[in-house]
Amino acid sequence: MKNEHHNDKHMNGETKSFLSFKLGEENFTVPVMKIMEILEVPKITRVPQSPNFLVGVINLRGAVLPVIDTRIKFGMTPIEFTINTCILVVSIEVNEEIIEVGALVDSVSEVFELSTEDIKPAPTLATRYRADYVQGMIHESDHFIMLLNIDKVFSSNDLESITEIKDNSQEEKNN
Amino acid sequence: MEEMKATYIQEANELLENLESSLLSLEDNPNDTSNIEQVFRVMHTLKGNSSMFGLSKIAEFVHDLETIYDKIRQGEMELTKEILNTTLASFDHLNLIIIDSDLEDEKNKENHVVLIHKIHGLIQGSTVSQAVVVPSEIAENTNATVIPDNVLRTYYVHFEPKTEFFLDGSNPLILVAELCQLGKYLVVPHFHKVISIDDFNPTSCITFWEIYIESGGAKDKIDEVFVFAESNAKIEVVELTSSDLISNKEFAEKVQELKFKDQLINRDVLFELAARLGKSIVPDLPILPAIDANELLAESKNTQKSETKEKVVSSIRVSSDKLDELMNLVSELVTTQASLTLYNQKNETPELELISENIEKLSRRLRDIAFGMTLVPINNMFSRFQRLVRDVSMALNKEVQFVTEGGETELDKSIIETLTDPLMHIIRNSLDHGLELPDVRERLGKPRKGTVKLKAFYSGISVYIQIIDDGKGIDVNVIREKAVSKGFIKSDDVLTDKEVFDFIFYPGFSTAAVVTDISGRGVGMDVVKRNISELKGSIVVESQVNIGTTLTIKLPLSLSIIDGLLVDVANVYYIIPLSVVDKCYEVDNFEMMNNFNQLLVLDEKQVPFINVRKEFGYEEMSNSEKSQIIVVSDADRRVGISVDHIVGEYQAVVKPIGKYYRNQDFISGATILGDGSIALVMDTHKIIDLYTEHAKFELKS
Repeated sequence: MKNEHHNDKHMNGETKSFLSFKLGEENFTVPVMKIMEILEVPKITRVPQSPNFLVGVINLRGAVLPVIDTRIKFGMTPIEFTINTCILVVSIEVNEEIIEVGALVDSVSEVFELSTEDIKPAPTLATRYRADYVQGMIHESDHFIMLLNIDKVFSSNDLESITEIKDNSQEEKNN
Repeated sequence: MEEMKATYIQEANELLENLESSLLSLEDNPNDTSNIEQVFRVMHTLKGNSSMFGLSKIAEFVHDLETIYDKIRQGEMELTKEILNTTLASFDHLNLIIIDSDLEDEKNKENHVVLIHKIHGLIQGSTVSQAVVVPSEIAENTNATVIPDNVLRTYYVHFEPKTEFFLDGSNPLILVAELCQLGKYLVVPHFHKVISIDDFNPTSCITFWEIYIESGGAKDKIDEVFVFAESNAKIEVVELTSSDLISNKEFAEKVQELKFKDQLINRDVLFELAARLGKSIVPDLPILPAIDANELLAESKNTQKSETKEKVVSSIRVSSDKLDELMNLVSELVTTQASLTLYNQKNETPELELISENIEKLSRRLRDIAFGMTLVPINNMFSRFQRLVRDVSMALNKEVQFVTEGGETELDKSIIETLTDPLMHIIRNSLDHGLELPDVRERLGKPRKGTVKLKAFYSGISVYIQIIDDGKGIDVNVIREKAVSKGFIKSDDVLTDKEVFDFIFYPGFSTAAVVTDISGRGVGMDVVKRNISELKGSIVVESQVNIGTTLTIKLPLSLSIIDGLLVDVANVYYIIPLSVVDKCYEVDNFEMMNNFNQLLVLDEKQVPFINVRKEFGYEEMSNSEKSQIIVVSDADRRVGISVDHIVGEYQAVVKPIGKYYRNQDFISGATILGDGSIALVMDTHKIIDLYTEHAKFELKS
């Protein structure tokens, strides 16, 4: 499926803009079209008894925007906010509904253009991240940048699947 | 065009709603002339609208219905039960065919014909009975005040002006037009002879007409038209049939045929045709829509103007999108104004303070008006139930008096829409399981007619809706036993009656099986409760055996703006809706620590409390500090909620916090404070439920 997708793009080979950001030492990227704006971290109000990766809600010009800590979502340990920490306001599509959500990242690196044919399929094995989160890989000089399927990463439906995964792993342990 | 059609349907629906309520009140007061007038007017407008959009089938149908009410209006017919039933059936039919205006659905088509037959039967029935009593009256009865539809008669008019007709300034076309206003018509013009252009004298009249007219009036009405032309023209008026021949396809075709041949009709053929068709005439669907529509169009234009005038002044139609946008803007204004007030408090400038206060006043008024606009009187919904009660009670052979009170109470439109189904279910339950059959009631010493009362009223920022019946009631003990047998409670548990009645709302707890022998059907009360909870409302049952049952639904006035108490817990701001706040106390923290019973004694009463810091997972405060206890009322419980500080009263524009937090439903939303920070709005009802669940869980483990 992924390969087919890739081949389609290969034939068209159009150029698109991407924004890359860092979580720890890892580089990630998402299509610029998905990013509405980039914010400095404002005061975040935490909602009690919510899952860890949901850091809280912020006031985005009068609207209430939920914010997700991408580090925790990806299983990394959370760190103190630095001067580079920022929130990407991303617009994602979940169940045919467009919702906006804030994504907390360590730093934003750059916006670059790339022909879609330079996107390599994601390796199906040996990644630390869930396969459906990664849409493809971009090779750049000596390192790889992961192209994220942002709709999947931040879909609120995942709330359930995360708890399910936890339950399953616990069951496995018990067994 | 689609848009126009949508407008038409919307308006038609409104008209039909109007019609229904008038019809139902007519049923109670058959002699109320104002209601008859209202029914007539609504039908007339509907007819006009329909024909304006070329929906001739609907227009024709309504026209026939209208005829009945016109007769009643004129005192020529009595309003009978049969008429009302037929009208209500027609009303149902109309509801269907305003969407299916071409009668594409076979069922509708069939129904259409059946109903038209019925209606015609009713119209004719009245004519016949009258004719029997005073046979001569019909002909003489028709004076100027009687409008055309009274008695259907088709006349043949031969109008042949003399050649010098023009000389005294007469215009034959005006006469023809005047004649055509009497009813449906077919006009066939003829020329005396074909003349060459050289012989043509523009001052001599060489045209004459054959006119077939279906006029409600008698012959003298037609004669009246020609009263000044008599000396100058050959005029002949012959009655063909006592029915509407113009709408007959065969007749119309015949006339059209002659028209193109430019032949005068043979009188013998005409009379023979008329006699034959006059007998076999069936109420057919309109045949000559071009002519009919024109006539109706002209008519509807006039009537529309006069009837819609009143409405235009009192209300206009605005799409709810626009209102939503307005509300959003007002919400933003309120928020911005809060920051202005805050800024002013920090930098005291007298001039600014004045401006800020004025803006505060204005935004408050603007807010009230904007939010008031989405409110609609609950009466709109009540009138729908009138019909339901009528039909259901008939089907159940029960005699029911349906009373509504407080129909002027206003509620948010979206709330009313969501509320309709649950209320319908409750009323159906009351009729089916609550009220007894008339004979049984009589034996119990109650009036034969049962009463179902729908009552709405305001209280604080809530609206209460009650459904009260005087039926057999619900036996607490039966429900209790059932709850025990289902394992919801133990047989020695002590419960209040209210708690016992709450089991009715448990899924799988069929009230029907408990209260009556009839097995429950349809959606359960659990769905009703869920629907009402979705509106942030609550429902309570009270009942006494043989006295009756009362269901009380409590709803918030508006979902999006509340008066709240701004508090602070561990440096996070929370809003507690002011509507639930009962009293505030200050207590020493050590009273709450290690409090095994979770009870505080406040004003010499024991009050259970919830330690919010603990429940929300914040660090607990040291024993030496003081906490504020806000006692909130939840249904008939009083529960204390501990917070660090009380900041003050706050107008909160509640915004959703999104799907990510759907598992944190004890937070009903968030609001933005004057300084731009966020306060979370507590749903105390949910918090108390959650807390009691926790407590239960702890006890079990």
